[in-house]
Amino acid sequence: MSSRDLILGRIRASIGRSGPADTSAVAAHLQASPRGPASQGDWRNSHEGVLQRFTERATALSSTVERVASWAEVPAAAAAYLISRQLPTRAVCWPTLADQPWAAAGLAVEARPSRGDDLVGITSTFCAVADTGTLMLLSGADTPAATSLLPETHIAVVPVERVVPLMEDGFALLRSEKGEAPRATNFVSGPSRTADIEQTVTLGAHGPYRVHLILVG
Amino acid sequence: MEIHSNDFKARAREALADQELQKALKLVQVKFVPNRAAAAAEYGDFEALRDAGRDIRNRALENLDLWLERFEQEATRRGAQVHWAKDAAEANAIIVDIAHKNGVKKVVKSKSMVSEECGLNDALEAAGVTPIETDLGEYILQINDHEPPSHIVAPVIHKTREQITELFHAKHHKPRQTDIGALCREAREILRPHFLSADMGISGANFLVAETGSTVIVTNEGNGRLCTTVPRIHVALTGIEKVVPTLEDLSVLLRLLPRSATGQAITNYVSMNTGVAGSGDSDGPEQFHIVLLDNGRSRVLGSELKEMLRCIRCGACMNHCPVYQAVGGHAYGWVYPGPMGSVLTPSYAGMEHAHELPHTATGCGQCSAVCPVRIPLPELMRKEREMQVDAGLRPWTERLALKLWGWSASQPWLYGLGTAIAARFLKGLGGEEKLIHRLPLAGGWTDGRDFPAPAGKTFRELYRAKKELH
Amino acid sequence: MRVALFVTCLADLMRPNVAFAALKLLKLAGCTVEVPETQTCCGQPAYNSGDRATALTLARKVIDEFSGYEYVVLPSGSCAGMIRAHYEELCKDDPALLVKAKKLAASTYELTDFLVNVAKLESVPGDFAGSITYHDSCSGLRELGIKQQPRQLLGKMGQVEIKEMSEAETCCGFGGTFSLKFGDISSKLADNKCENACATGADAIVGGDLGCLLNIEGRLRRKGDRKTQVLHVAEVLAGKLD
Ligand code: SF4
Repeated sequence: MSSRDLILGRIRASIGRSGPADTSAVAAHLQASPRGPASQGDWRNSHEGVLQRFTERATALSSTVERVASWAEVPAAAAAYLISRQLPTRAVCWPTLADQPWAAAGLAVEARPSRGDDLVGITSTFCAVADTGTLMLLSGADTPAATSLLPETHIAVVPVERVVPLMEDGFALLRSEKGEAPRATNFVSGPSRTADIEQTVTLGAHGPYRVHLILVG
Repeated sequence: MEIHSNDFKARAREALADQELQKALKLVQVKFVPNRAAAAAEYGDFEALRDAGRDIRNRALENLDLWLERFEQEATRRGAQVHWAKDAAEANAIIVDIAHKNGVKKVVKSKSMVSEECGLNDALEAAGVTPIETDLGEYILQINDHEPPSHIVAPVIHKTREQITELFHAKHHKPRQTDIGALCREAREILRPHFLSADMGISGANFLVAETGSTVIVTNEGNGRLCTTVPRIHVALTGIEKVVPTLEDLSVLLRLLPRSATGQAITNYVSMNTGVAGSGDSDGPEQFHIVLLDNGRSRVLGSELKEMLRCIRCGACMNHCPVYQAVGGHAYGWVYPGPMGSVLTPSYAGMEHAHELPHTATGCGQCSAVCPVRIPLPELMRKEREMQVDAGLRPWTERLALKLWGWSASQPWLYGLGTAIAARFLKGLGGEEKLIHRLPLAGGWTDGRDFPAPAGKTFRELYRAKKELH
Repeated sequence: MRVALFVTCLADLMRPNVAFAALKLLKLAGCTVEVPETQTCCGQPAYNSGDRATALTLARKVIDEFSGYEYVVLPSGSCAGMIRAHYEELCKDDPALLVKAKKLAASTYELTDFLVNVAKLESVPGDFAGSITYHDSCSGLRELGIKQQPRQLLGKMGQVEIKEMSEAETCCGFGGTFSLKFGDISSKLADNKCENACATGADAIVGGDLGCLLNIEGRLRRKGDRKTQVLHVAEVLAGKLD
């Protein structure tokens, strides 16, 4: 007998299943996908409240956040951020952002996958979760996962209309807009960190040391 | 992993005498406990969230076969390969085989307690494959001659910064770094090239999502993302019980897990991996293998301990356990320490290898008071004690003592006589000070404490005398 | 109110005054108190050791002895917890017994809980003057929710000042047979408790469970502290016994 059949057989014996399974409960639960409890709060009542929550939470997790009125202002904002921190002005970005006028803002940005020695990575996001100040990034040919991971600095452009209250809202968008999950769905909440030594939080473990969020709109 | 759980007593004694360890363990009480409390309070109705967590895990376990089949179907549809391992040896063999077939020489690993349970690193090394632990804590342990972890979330909680400074200095041949940030940077710089050159990444999975066939890992450092993104092969090894039905169910558990573990509202990274890299993708593995381990879990499902399978490995039970806080994780002698380990170890590794563990708790209930999925841990440990009694595994002296005492307690007259004698005897031993410094057969007590002597007459006697007077 | 006092085996053997104090307080609260003569032990040590058969024998006996009363009161959170939180599980395979066990559980109370929430005791006779710190015993706290009750009662005493210790809700290390099996760990936990308690500078450590109190006192005395008193809450509340 294969281990698969052995294990499934043991499970069935343990839960007392004999004969064919009634799959209706499982199907019904998948169909309904009921939501569980979530944090309540006045912030959920308006979109400005949602944006404020997002900003507060992201800041608390050591991201920096700024807001610009339109996409046209994004390259300059990114440049100003990098220059003010004396960070390199050379970067890689998602292919979806290739057409932004980076050079005009004084940045040398290549729209290609990150190779591991790039110091700055620029991405947008599928959406963002206000509840926890989190980016929800989907991998793809034009949105490689490594851009938000390998460089020491990650800049993410977040259109305000893509900020949703809860993780469940992000999953709902995933279902309605993409149909199914991509190879990697990454929820990112600030710079990478570790507290393994003496439970002292230190930023920049294996991923970025800093995450800068540019809200647009 | 080798098991030393039957040495609990000796190991605990050593731990109590180890000053460095005691210093390190203080942080459990100082950091984890208040952080979890603050996170629960900040969330709001955390009790309702715990109820929901319990219900979600129960729903998954009630139809575990169906959810696993659904998971397998979806994962396969997306190009992953699902393997089933009945025990640790089979899991190791499957992974070694994948490595050999693909000419893998080097593996980067993110933290996985299931891989510790299987002793996977030893199996890989024996097969000529080099595993590199990349979680900072696990890395520290690996370079310290493969020391085992002492906590499921914070594997080096037992180490002080000074010890890590010395270890890095000795193993990296670099100047001593005393700053924690500098130590982290040093490890990062050593590990980054390994990520880029490894042929295979191995991770665990905190959850499996049946709806989508995805594995989910929850990390702070980003090493889990690297292990699952950069190498051309990704292997996820996890237990069959980790499946949850839907993304909505996952969302609830993702609120509970980090708050209970470290007091974070969310970990830095939550990475959900579904299938293999698509055409045109510049990153992501070409092969994605998911190894589902049983190793005793299906048996537990049919036992009185089945509630234990709800566990989401947050570590809150050990963080809040006064015994864990006093002796640390190594005393428990296997992968899973603290209350959850005292239930799991005898179930997975065999009662004969861990018969002390169900007794290593005071029954204070602090663990179940914080468990995010409401596992009644003290109750389960008590059930294990019943199993031991039923199987005749307790020492005959203990069994006899309980029977004798139980018998006399059901004979009120005899019991009254016995206690009257005991009260006088003990009073005599206590002397002027009314303190007994050494009590025969109770050295466990009097080695560290005096035994306050009784008043000399039992309540029963005094009360009867009073009633007769009136 | 017709109340049966379950003295508990530890009070019977070690500290009869705790039971007399409980008796006095219940009478003051207007209860008719009876002390069933054949009572011994609730069976908890056997239950916790996994000896279900012995525990069940004793539970049957307790159920027989105490079922006829309106209320059953115990000066111990862990013994009251045994009846209220565990008898149901213990008796689950005997339907007739189970019915009785549930009924008994519903009428069983820990002493301070009963005095505050059922008997609504107005004034407290105790004359202890000084500062105390209160140890919340685990079973009472987590199985029965005993936290404010003793503090409310102590608050009715004019000259008592409560100085809360840090980690008041952390186990003292007693744990029944744990204190014998793992004496050094148990002593270490008792040490933590004593340190936290003594750091308040209180004159007395007070609690509602004799097991914990004997453990704490034993460690205090071994460390050379002869000054800090260790008292059961019933003794403090009842004051002088005749
Ligand atoms: S038993 Fe509960 S508290 Fe302990 S690790 Fe598992 S989920 Fe967390």
